[in-house]
Amino acid sequence: MNRAQLWLPVLYVLLAVFAVIMVAPFAWMICASLKNKADFFDALFLPGGNGFLGVAWDRLTLEHYQRLFAEHGVHRTLVNSIFLSSVISVLATLFTAMAGYALSKFEFRAREILTWFVLAMLVIPAPLLLAPGYQLLHQLDLLDSYWGLVLPAAAPAFGVFLFRQSILNSVHGELLEAARIDGAGEIRIFFRLVLPLVRPMAGAFLMITFLGVWNNFVTPQVVLQTPELFPLAVMINNLRGLYGTDYGLLMSGTFVSIAPVMCLFLLLQKEFIQGLTSGAVKG
Amino acid sequence: MWVIVGLALVSSALIVAWPPAPREGSPFWIYNDVHRTTYEPFIAAWNRRHPDKAVDLILLHQTALERRLLSGFLSGTPVADLVELERAQAARAFAGPLSQVGFHDLTDRVHEEGLYDRINAPTWTPWISRGRVFGIPHDMNPVLLAYRADIIEAAGIDLPAQVETWDDFYRVLRPLMQDLDGDGRHDRFLLNGSTNNELFLEIILRQAGGRFFDDEERLCFNDPVNARTLAHITTWLTGPRRMCTDAPEYSAAGHKMRLDGTVLCAVIPDWMTGQWKRELPGLSGKLKLMPVPAFTRGGRRTSVYGGSMIGVTKTAPDFEAAWDFANALYMSPESAEVLYRGTGIVSPVKELWSLPIYHQPDPYFCGQPAGALFIAQAPDIPLRTASSYERIAIERLLTVATLLVAYADREQKFTVDELVPEAQRLLDIEHAAIDAQMKRNVFLQE
Amino acid sequence: MSSSRNKSLARATHPAWTPWFFLAPFLAITAIFVVWPLGGSLVLSFQQTFGPEATKVVGWDNFKFLLRDPLFWKAVRNTTLYATGSVLLQLPLALLLALALNHPRLRGRTLFRLLFFLPSLVGLIFAGVVFSLVLETRTGLLNHSLHALIPAFDPEFPWLSRYPMAALLLSALWLYVGFNMIYFLAALQSVPRDLLEAASIDGASAWQRFRHVILPEITPVTHFVVLLSLVGSFQMFELSWVLFNNTTGPNDGGLTIVMYLYRTGFIVGDLGYASAVGWVLALLLISFSWLQRRLRVRSAEGGVA
Repeated sequence: MNRAQLWLPVLYVLLAVFAVIMVAPFAWMICASLKNKADFFDALFLPGGNGFLGVAWDRLTLEHYQRLFAEHGVHRTLVNSIFLSSVISVLATLFTAMAGYALSKFEFRAREILTWFVLAMLVIPAPLLLAPGYQLLHQLDLLDSYWGLVLPAAAPAFGVFLFRQSILNSVHGELLEAARIDGAGEIRIFFRLVLPLVRPMAGAFLMITFLGVWNNFVTPQVVLQTPELFPLAVMINNLRGLYGTDYGLLMSGTFVSIAPVMCLFLLLQKEFIQGLTSGAVKG
Repeated sequence: MWVIVGLALVSSALIVAWPPAPREGSPFWIYNDVHRTTYEPFIAAWNRRHPDKAVDLILLHQTALERRLLSGFLSGTPVADLVELERAQAARAFAGPLSQVGFHDLTDRVHEEGLYDRINAPTWTPWISRGRVFGIPHDMNPVLLAYRADIIEAAGIDLPAQVETWDDFYRVLRPLMQDLDGDGRHDRFLLNGSTNNELFLEIILRQAGGRFFDDEERLCFNDPVNARTLAHITTWLTGPRRMCTDAPEYSAAGHKMRLDGTVLCAVIPDWMTGQWKRELPGLSGKLKLMPVPAFTRGGRRTSVYGGSMIGVTKTAPDFEAAWDFANALYMSPESAEVLYRGTGIVSPVKELWSLPIYHQPDPYFCGQPAGALFIAQAPDIPLRTASSYERIAIERLLTVATLLVAYADREQKFTVDELVPEAQRLLDIEHAAIDAQMKRNVFLQE
Repeated sequence: MSSSRNKSLARATHPAWTPWFFLAPFLAITAIFVVWPLGGSLVLSFQQTFGPEATKVVGWDNFKFLLRDPLFWKAVRNTTLYATGSVLLQLPLALLLALALNHPRLRGRTLFRLLFFLPSLVGLIFAGVVFSLVLETRTGLLNHSLHALIPAFDPEFPWLSRYPMAALLLSALWLYVGFNMIYFLAALQSVPRDLLEAASIDGASAWQRFRHVILPEITPVTHFVVLLSLVGSFQMFELSWVLFNNTTGPNDGGLTIVMYLYRTGFIVGDLGYASAVGWVLALLLISFSWLQRRLRVRSAEGGVA
């Protein structure tokens, strides 16, 4: 036990160093979002001056945030992002859990082929689908609408893979049989028995998917045409222009984008880790 | 976990209750946010005066614009009626057979209405594919040398009077390349440039008469003029006569170097002045403009970089309305003024060159009439082509430049004559690569 | 595997359509939005197209050109280097951090966890913008800090202009190490306590405990994380594109396979060629994962399938 205690300070130092490295860009971002144009290049973090701790607090400004809300309609894009991320993650979790359940707890002839199919889908590079996918959306008249983003993303193969593992490990055949003998319907079994058993995994997958959709700008920027429909990620990408970047705006936009997900992560940290622990990743 | 589900429900309700307002008017796609702010007032006024020809301005990110254009022209997905394109994006529109170009052929129209003669002749060239005009130029983008007058004049140097060629430039300014903090490295350089800097390389190359495609859009990447110019550039970037350092054009780091005076001069097109005024207010009153030093006495003292055009797509339901709008936007004195004030871009329309705004003393440039200075270079602007392989050529140019500098360092060869053979060799290799790409294109052979 | 008695019971007590019912949404969505466009892209890859009237079937030409293009192979080299480099750099570090965080006497675990995970929350644009500033030659934070710590270090080390791969690997490290650490943390926390206690009672040292108890237990997770990392790294594009300011990097050092696809498909404009590149990449990835599963099944008993 003493040996272990000796290591402790070393570990703290190691962790602290890395923590600083991870966080430094964020500190820079927050400072950058509060500095006015003239001060931007002067100091790395906060402008020096005569204030408390040698910082010129009076020169900090909220103008970038104000512009975000006034000129770029950030409130609307926030709602759009929340909508897309939450709806897609909920649907994705539901559909892939269902598919994972089918592939793990049932015996039927096509099972082997379908499992391989799911694995193959995991490695399809997205750019391959971009152009034909866009055309398909046009043919289905789904362009420039939320449906065009929600539907294609509602059943990622990755989820099927994860849930299949998770259900294989956490749900025992005997339970299901017992329920069936008791006369429970299949749908009931799924929602009342299976899902609660993989709840941590579902929580983790929800979080991962939410995050993925939240930061994705590639697909939405092509599919959506009306600016009012843009999610936050697209709006921020637009701030990075061809000729020059308005750093103040970009940084404040990034902060607005990170804050909600960070809160979400704080709330769901425990579940997230639990979900990954719950044997899904055990293989 | 139920948090997310709850969010889903709440936001869905909000979305349903809060649909975006329906958009009216001909869609007009642009990619540049600064253009957006300059166009919005004009468009608002236009829509009021001509409600039947109303235009709906939509800002798209460059990548999104490219993809939508590509998809639109290839698969018939919806494209706007009017599109403002940058050179890099327009190239894509001109790939493929002439009949397939997604924009209306404006050649006859611009000649009939005399539009062609009203605009600076060299400025049409990037928008003419195989002899047909597909867009109205938005700008000319002449290039001038911007220099830190505060530092240079304090050293007793009158740059425009003493410098006519690049050799003069090096000779006169050499004393200013200093090591200011005693660490053995220079802290002040004469010119902003590097092998990563597309703007710099293309500007200098074209100034010297280099080019990628000839007038028939045939590849001439390995033109000996290109080789010689690249050799020159290499001697500026490395070796005993080095005078350049890398202050990236659009980054905070580069801006800091400009503010600190780490680079004294830069070759800039007119739109860069607008950008600097926005991003570098601290340089106001410290810069002056002059024609770019020539390569030989009496040689060309300007260059060109970038450029946008406006085109009417073939899917536009009302060509005349779109045409009227495009004309008004680009040819009117009001929009030229607004554009200049917002971005520093000078209009390519000759009759507008006498607008007072171009000749006003500009406090940012110590009272020089910046607009007029750029306009003075208009006739000398190098010609370009609309070949869809220009982007690839520029990409390959960067590689050649990087390899050439590495060669110079390795072999310790730092004079122009020593470097020309290697430059030619590298250009030949890339010429073959681009040629292979072009030959692959079955439609180009037609 | 259930016994035959259970099998017949299972069959008897649920209708045969049940699995299909649960698979339906996934199958429908995948069929429409993945398989159908995939077929379209396969067809495209044998064509050269610049417009609806300007489409020609060129057979294997796209693939032939692709395999002969030195730039493509450069992209493959870069991408492979990046992927393997990422795995080799990030995973040991992630494991190390997870081990540190897993120490029973450690305080502030939740805080550290959050801080390490933060980078995963940002978009690639922010990461690209920040790192292009941090890695800048003269004014970059990295050079300043390294020079301050190690005076012998060149304060103008040209990360971005001479060592693009290093720049990419560093940025990717910052971005993803936290996420991988969480996976490892989860795995470490599921190592059975009794096994570890038994080992320490037997007098095993920390290193021996790690090597003989922990490592085997987390091997499946490691495989999973490696596969995820590889597949993700092979598809990298935006990070490099933003870091090198919309170019392929010095001497094409930042050119990845997907960037090559983007460049030929969208810059030159030939969607047929872009599809061919995409398919080659897909085949590469499929063979990777197949190989990986092969190795895994062979090394572990009772694998996934």
